[in-house]
Amino acid sequence: MQFDRRSLLKYSAAAGALGLAGPFAGQAFAAREKELNILCWEGYNSDEVLDPFRRQTDANVSAESGTSDPDMINKLRAGEINVWDVINLNQPWARDQMWPEKLIKPLPKDRFEPYFANMMAPFNKDYEWCYTADGENLLGMVQRFGPFNFVVNTDKVSRATAEDEGFNLFNEASNSGKYGILTYDNWNIYHMCIGAGLDPFVKHSEADIAAYEKVARAWFKGAKLLTDDLVAMNLALINGEIDFYLTGGTYTSSPARLDGYSNIRGITPKKGPMAGGKGGITWVEVTSVVNNPQGSPLAYDFLEYVQNPEVCHAVAFAEGTYNPVTQMGNPKVFEKFSSEELDAIQWDSLEEELSNTVDYQINPDYDVMNKIYNEAKREA
Amino acid sequence: MSSASDTMTAQPTIATQKIPRRRRLVSPGLLAALPVIIFLCVAFAAPLLAVLGYSFMPEKTFELTQAPTLENYLAIFSNSYYLSFTKSLGLALTTVVLLLVISWPIAYGMAKIFGRWANFLTLAIIIPLFVSENIRLFGWVLFLIKGGVMLGGLKAWFGIDGESMLYEVPAIVLGLVYVYLPFALFPMVLGVSMVPREVTEAAFDMGASRWQVFREVELPLAMPGILIGGLLTFILSLGSLAESKILGGQAVIMIADEIETAFTFGQNWPLGSALSMLLILFSGTLVLTLLNWIDLDKILGRGKGGNGD
Repeated sequence: MQFDRRSLLKYSAAAGALGLAGPFAGQAFAAREKELNILCWEGYNSDEVLDPFRRQTDANVSAESGTSDPDMINKLRAGEINVWDVINLNQPWARDQMWPEKLIKPLPKDRFEPYFANMMAPFNKDYEWCYTADGENLLGMVQRFGPFNFVVNTDKVSRATAEDEGFNLFNEASNSGKYGILTYDNWNIYHMCIGAGLDPFVKHSEADIAAYEKVARAWFKGAKLLTDDLVAMNLALINGEIDFYLTGGTYTSSPARLDGYSNIRGITPKKGPMAGGKGGITWVEVTSVVNNPQGSPLAYDFLEYVQNPEVCHAVAFAEGTYNPVTQMGNPKVFEKFSSEELDAIQWDSLEEELSNTVDYQINPDYDVMNKIYNEAKREA
Repeated sequence: MSSASDTMTAQPTIATQKIPRRRRLVSPGLLAALPVIIFLCVAFAAPLLAVLGYSFMPEKTFELTQAPTLENYLAIFSNSYYLSFTKSLGLALTTVVLLLVISWPIAYGMAKIFGRWANFLTLAIIIPLFVSENIRLFGWVLFLIKGGVMLGGLKAWFGIDGESMLYEVPAIVLGLVYVYLPFALFPMVLGVSMVPREVTEAAFDMGASRWQVFREVELPLAMPGILIGGLLTFILSLGSLAESKILGGQAVIMIADEIETAFTFGQNWPLGSALSMLLILFSGTLVLTLLNWIDLDKILGRGKGGNGD
């Protein structure tokens, strides 16, 4: 074989390219063994939750919190499916959107199903939002949850009155200017449906939509304050700028309660227009493994790690907001919570509140209602 | 000698001989600018083109492969989005006018009167910029809220019960003026410092009143700085979001808020993209028109001939 200058250059370039690409390609695969990226609601991204896992696995674990469920799903849709390994969203999205769009992959049942046995009811047996509709595939694990309806300052409106009146409180003309709207758009829409006497999770007639629109416009007109910042909303409630606000619950009232403001209380209406005459909604986070083509094997280890009692407590009381966790059905987890912490998450009424709520689902008329919602907000 | 004379005679030949220029495929200037051009194409133009592309996709699609449509633009014009556009525009204009009025005396003082104290003032205005805008605005909430620093203080010291100005339009304007003051002030300082003292003195010597000097001498000469500051704060205010959300309780739904909502809760990227394009188109037209009007060379102290005149 004869080498001339051109062929020497050619082979050198090829060798150089291999030399460069080879180690990097190897590193790319090796890096995923020691790397985990989590897209989640705030709390799972705290050092209290992540640091022990980092030490345990010696892995580079990074987590980013989202601002809304749709926002986080959009990241996966926009191509970040190659970035994230774990995604943590409220209950309907895994089964109804991410699974059909192949954004998540199923969990091995034999490894994860045993953890359900120690959870609180109704999460301890075949909790429907963790599975595909046919029950064949396990789509995620549940942990944080909470009733999410409205919040009152009990010095201004008693708990009993608020529970009896429910969302009608916002319909009363005399309450105009006394409340705020925490603009979690999708939740506001559900609560406006309830205020209009509608079940948000069924198909609606034109008359229903008109009734919803009337409530949406009236509530925006009567609202003193709109914000998507729960701290700003609690501050306004504590300082007397407003007497109550929707959308809210344990998730938003617990930081104020832990700070000693026990007059700030999440309310679940005793009755309402939803299935079984219920008037409130509960969110439950489902944490799933992203269908990342080069997914980190640590994703499954992380889902197991957060079942550990210490970690369950850290997740429940991570920075930001404080929430009950389904694992509190396990006495070893429950004993980690102090009486102040239990009071902050309204443990005294949690069971009763849960019995008055239905699961958060996707509204079949969300698109049309969202348009009306934005118009009403803009034109108020 | 002969060789020397040969050289002597050869010199004119060399001087007049045309050396054929090598045709360059790429000019050195272009070559030097290539990294920046590539960076701008990837980091600036490509995302903008993607947004432009999405604005012509059917609503609620997450890919660019559908048949293009104008439905998003039609939806914007057939709905009440004009309210958000006009309210944002109104707030931006109000902010700019207030900022110009507030900034003029400060800029004048900094450029002409305060001497070395101007540096202290500059620092005092710049240092808060190191703190996040949201935190500064939240500080204002704590100051203005019922029972907060102002109303709580009034009640405790004088027994006066005041109404909070939070969650109303004036609170948004306050936030905008507060946040964007440096962006109007510093270009204006530059503008005022371009007014030569001799010119104002000459105007006074010729019997001009203070008002005449201001209107006919200082204002026109400082105009480039005023326009740059005004333009900058107008664009920033038009696309602002935090002031309305934190201080205003969304008493006004800004256009940036509509865009954010479309991309997140609305899950309607094409609508959000169309709204963004309209905002970019509007702001872009304004910037280009004004930049056409302003002589940037004059602001930077360069004469057109490059000789410093």
